[in-house]
Amino acid sequence: MTDNSFLEVRDLKKYFPPRESFFGNTAGSVRAVDGISFELEEGETLGIVGESGSGKSTAARTLLQLEPPTSGTVHFKGHNLTALSEEKLRSLRKEMQMIFQDPFSSINPRRRIGDVLREPFAIHNLKENVAESIKELLNQVGLSSDHAHRYPHELSGGQLQRVGIARAIALNPSLVIADEPVSALDVSVQAQVVNLMMDLKEKLKISYIFISHDMSIVEYFCDRVAVMYLGKIVEISTSEEIYRTPGHPYTEALLNAVPGLEPEQKKQKIKIRGDIPDPSNPPQGCSFHTRCPLKEKRCEEMEPILKEVSPGHHVACFLKE
Amino acid sequence: MSQIELDVRNLNVSFSTPHGNFSAVNGINFQLHSGETLALVGESGCGKTVTALSILRLLPEASAKFISGKIIYSGRDLLGLSSQQMRKVRGKEISMIFQDPMTCLNPVLTLGEQLSETLLQHNNLNKKEALSKSAQLLGRVELSSPEEKLKQYPHQLSGGMRQRVMIAMALACEPKILIADEPTTALDVLIQAQILELLENLKKETGMAMLLITHDLGVVAEIAERVMVMYAGDEVETGPTQSLLKNPNHPYTKGLIASRPQPGLNIKKDLRLPEITGNVPSPNQRPSGCPFHPRCNWVMDQCKTQKPISKKSNHDHQYSCHLEPGSL
Repeated sequence: MTDNSFLEVRDLKKYFPPRESFFGNTAGSVRAVDGISFELEEGETLGIVGESGSGKSTAARTLLQLEPPTSGTVHFKGHNLTALSEEKLRSLRKEMQMIFQDPFSSINPRRRIGDVLREPFAIHNLKENVAESIKELLNQVGLSSDHAHRYPHELSGGQLQRVGIARAIALNPSLVIADEPVSALDVSVQAQVVNLMMDLKEKLKISYIFISHDMSIVEYFCDRVAVMYLGKIVEISTSEEIYRTPGHPYTEALLNAVPGLEPEQKKQKIKIRGDIPDPSNPPQGCSFHTRCPLKEKRCEEMEPILKEVSPGHHVACFLKE
Repeated sequence: MSQIELDVRNLNVSFSTPHGNFSAVNGINFQLHSGETLALVGESGCGKTVTALSILRLLPEASAKFISGKIIYSGRDLLGLSSQQMRKVRGKEISMIFQDPMTCLNPVLTLGEQLSETLLQHNNLNKKEALSKSAQLLGRVELSSPEEKLKQYPHQLSGGMRQRVMIAMALACEPKILIADEPTTALDVLIQAQILELLENLKKETGMAMLLITHDLGVVAEIAERVMVMYAGDEVETGPTQSLLKNPNHPYTKGLIASRPQPGLNIKKDLRLPEITGNVPSPNQRPSGCPFHPRCNWVMDQCKTQKPISKKSNHDHQYSCHLEPGSL
C-alpha cells in the first residue's frame, strides 16, 4: 500500500442482509458490491458504467462511507476511511463530495437556492464570507447571483443540476463523485452540464468518479473506465482502449446499445437479452453467462477473475485468456 | 405516397393559468402516414407531449381551454367528437405508451387485471377469453412465462419488463396508431435497445403507424423514418431522418445533433462538447421574432423582429428560419 496514492479501494464489499419476508422465508443476502478494487490518481476521472442494479451507486455510497462497508478498505490521501472515527470522517468529508442524479429530489424544494448552498458552510462551521462565496459559486456554475433568492421549482432541470454541482464544490473538494449527473436531463442540456464539470475540473483541480450507464458520455468525459456487472468490476482500462478494443462481451453490448446517429454503419451487434439477474441469487460461474451470447461450458462452472490483457487493461472473461 | 392515417392541421394549444394565458403549441401541421414512424423531437417544454395529449384528448378540460385546429383521423375531426365517441377511439384506434412505466401501471392490480381491462372495454370478450388474450399479448412483447406474469404485480417486474407490459397494453386492441411518449428515457441503454427493437418489430408485424416523442436524436436515428423538430411550441424543421441528420437547415437542429456525443469518435479530451447555450424560454416569456434567436449563433437583425415562415430546403425539408437553404 502506497501512502501517497490519492484514492485506493481494496476489495470493497457491501452486502445487504436478507430481509425476512412476511411469511418467514428468507432469500440470500444481496451482494450489491462484491469485492471491487481500483485506484484513482489525483486529477484523474474514472467512469463507472453498468446497468441499474449493477452496484454502481452502492459502490459510490460505500466508498464515501455513507453506507458502512461489509469489508474492504478505502484509502483516501493516506487516511483509511473505513477505520476513521465519525468526527475525523466528518472533517474529511469537505474533501469528498457527491452530485446526485435527480436534482429535483436531491435539493430541498422548500428552501431557496441560497439557503441550499449555505448549508455546507454551516455544517462545517465556516462563517466568514459565506454570502460572498455563494455568489461566487453561482457564477462559477453559470448562474447569476439573483438565483440565490429563487426556489428550486423556478429553475429548469439543467439549472438545478448546476445548483447541485455548486453545492458539491462549495467547500473545495478534491474528489467529487457524480452519480448519473446528466441521466435525468435532455440531451442538449447534458452537453452543457458535462462541459461545466470539465471546466471546473481544470479550474479547481478536482478528481471525478463519474457514474453512468451511457457509454458515449463516459468516453468523452473519463480518462479510465470501470465496467460493473452484479457488484463486480468485469473490465477496467483507459477509455480509448475500452472503445477501441472492448474485452468483455458485456462492455461490447453496452457500447453497441448507444443509439448512434448513423445506425447503418454499426458493426455486427452483440445483443443482450433479458434483464440483469437478481443480486441476491447471482448465477453460478461467470455472473454474466446467463445473458452472454459467447458463453462456453466453463463459464457456467468457474468464475473468471480480473486479468491484465494488455498494460493497464484488465478483463474478467475466459475468452480473453 | 401511402395513405394518410392522421392529419394534424394548424394545431394550437394554450393554457389558462393565474398568471395569464400562454401558448404551448403554436399552429403545428403534420401528417402521419400508415406504417411509418414519425418522431417529434425537442427539449423539455417544447410542446411535444402536449401535442400527443391533444391528439388523444387527454388534456384536462379545465386548464387547456383553447385548443384550435383540426386533427383528422379516418375522415373525422377528433377535436369535434363527443367524449363517448372519443372513448371508442382512445385505446382502440389510437393508443399511447408513457414515459415512466413505474408510475403508469396500477400498483394494486395484477398485470392480468390491468391488461384485460382494455380488452373488456373494447371487445366482446368474457373474462376468461380476455385473460388468455392478455397472456398472448405478454408473449408477443417477449416476456417469459406469460401465464405466471398475469398473476404478478407491477413491483415484481423490472423497469424494462414494465415498459413491455405497457406496450402489450397499448397493443391490446391492435391500434392503427401508437403514440410513444419518451418510451425509453427512463431506461438503461441496454434495455432501451431492446425496447426499440421490439417496437420496430411490432410495427412491422402490425403495420401500425407510430408517433415517437423523444429528446434524443440517437433514438430517432434508430427507428424513425421522418422527424419533426419542435422548439418552444413551434415546428422548426421536418424531413426524412437520415437527410435531416446529415443536412440540417435550422441552427437548432444542427445544435441538437452536435450535442449528442458519438461513441468511438475519439474526441480529443481537451475539446468541449458542442452545446446550445442558454435555456428554453418559458411559455410566458417567449422572445419576439424567431423564438430561437437568443440562443442562435447565426442570429441576424431580422430574426429579432420577424417570425420566419416555413420554407423548403434543397433536401426536401420544411424549415422555419431566415437563413437561406444550405447556409449551415
